[in-house]
Amino acid sequence: MIDPAEAASRRAERLVRCYPRAWRVRYGEEFTQFLADDIAERPHSVTRTADVLRSGTLARVTYAGLAGDALEPQQQMRAGLGVVGLSASAFLAAGVAIWSQLAIGWQWSSPATTATKVGMLMMSGAILAFVLAAVLAALPLAWVTLRELVSGDRRRLVLPLIAVSVGTFVLVTGSIHFGQHGWPGTRGHPWSGRGLVPGSVARFAWAATLSITSYWAHPGRLASFPAAEIAWMLLSPLALAAAVIGAATTFRRLPLEPRVLRFESWLGLTAAIVMVGFLTGASSWVISNGPDPHSLFRVGLIDFLGVTVMAAALTLAYRAAHRTLGASRRHTPTT
Amino acid sequence: MASTETPDGHTESEALASLGRYAGPATLMLSSLADGPKHGYALTKDIEQFAGVHVAPGTMYEALARLERQGLIEPLESVDRRRPYRLTAEGALALRAHLHAQRQVAEVGLRRLDSTPGLA
Repeated sequence: MIDPAEAASRRAERLVRCYPRAWRVRYGEEFTQFLADDIAERPHSVTRTADVLRSGTLARVTYAGLAGDALEPQQQMRAGLGVVGLSASAFLAAGVAIWSQLAIGWQWSSPATTATKVGMLMMSGAILAFVLAAVLAALPLAWVTLRELVSGDRRRLVLPLIAVSVGTFVLVTGSIHFGQHGWPGTRGHPWSGRGLVPGSVARFAWAATLSITSYWAHPGRLASFPAAEIAWMLLSPLALAAAVIGAATTFRRLPLEPRVLRFESWLGLTAAIVMVGFLTGASSWVISNGPDPHSLFRVGLIDFLGVTVMAAALTLAYRAAHRTLGASRRHTPTT
Repeated sequence: MASTETPDGHTESEALASLGRYAGPATLMLSSLADGPKHGYALTKDIEQFAGVHVAPGTMYEALARLERQGLIEPLESVDRRRPYRLTAEGALALRAHLHAQRQVAEVGLRRLDSTPGLA
């Protein structure tokens, strides 16, 4: 039979896992003991469990840089930028899935409605701006990473960098392969169609986001897909997750100077503004509801879902970017 | 009396009010610590005894972390995984200012109740 004190301690340890690791490092041990004492006195309390769940969730939101004032400005900037990066990744995954569908449609024929045309132009412009912002954001980080690999503490960076490399390699090579062998575009010369974007770009984007599809809700039709394509639909999100989580971990572990964090904060806000442009374009197409039910430009339930995911990601990214810039101003020494 | 500032820039009279919805639990906790250091569980038991209020563990540690950040309390060495906290000099000033303000409100309210016909 388990000792009651031991059982209380185990339950307390389970409850404390609601809190983020950084919080647990500071308060974990004493809070666990506090909870164990409370559980020993009142073994069953729904109010206590609800209070700890609420408080733990709030601590997670706070330590992600989205609320409160518990973090130092530099911690706030790092946490906020991490959220911007993760939100932007989720936004792009959902957005590129929509954009590639329209890019393929435009390979065959120009969209019939102005709303779709304008929407597609806005999304394409936003993707270009995203690429530019991503390159600008990556340059200083790549430099610091290189410096750390050559003369710093490289052990902390090895695993996340392997995750980034493997994830990116799988995603890129797989997308090129499946883009060349399965896409529903014109298969002609990259610039031969009437498309807004080169065919090679459209098919790469289509293959990279093949897993974002309503076919998951129709297993019967999904079963008719080639086995390799189904395997790719399962593997590609994992590769994307590995690359994004690896990049976020690398970012968290890099010793970054305040001016680099400030630069990244401005880019974070720029990314949020670009997301607004992309979402406006996507919404313009979704609201117009496409030209006819059989066209490649038609709007499906998955597209409404995609727009909802993008709106949620944009909200998170904007809030995180706004708070990151606020922390950046607090961190700037006034003269 | 000259006013002092807490580490986050609040004057002593503003320090507790600036805690927003945590001002209530914070006042109870500071009052409990006024007679000596206590750890989390001892704080809840003491508050239950003198105020008849149960402060739930999550709420208690949210308020405690804010009070620590404001420099109104400070942690001591852990004993048996239980970490006691004590009131700082700034905390004592802030608590005194807050309780004086509360007493003033209570006195005015009671005086008016006593002097209003039909309510006395």
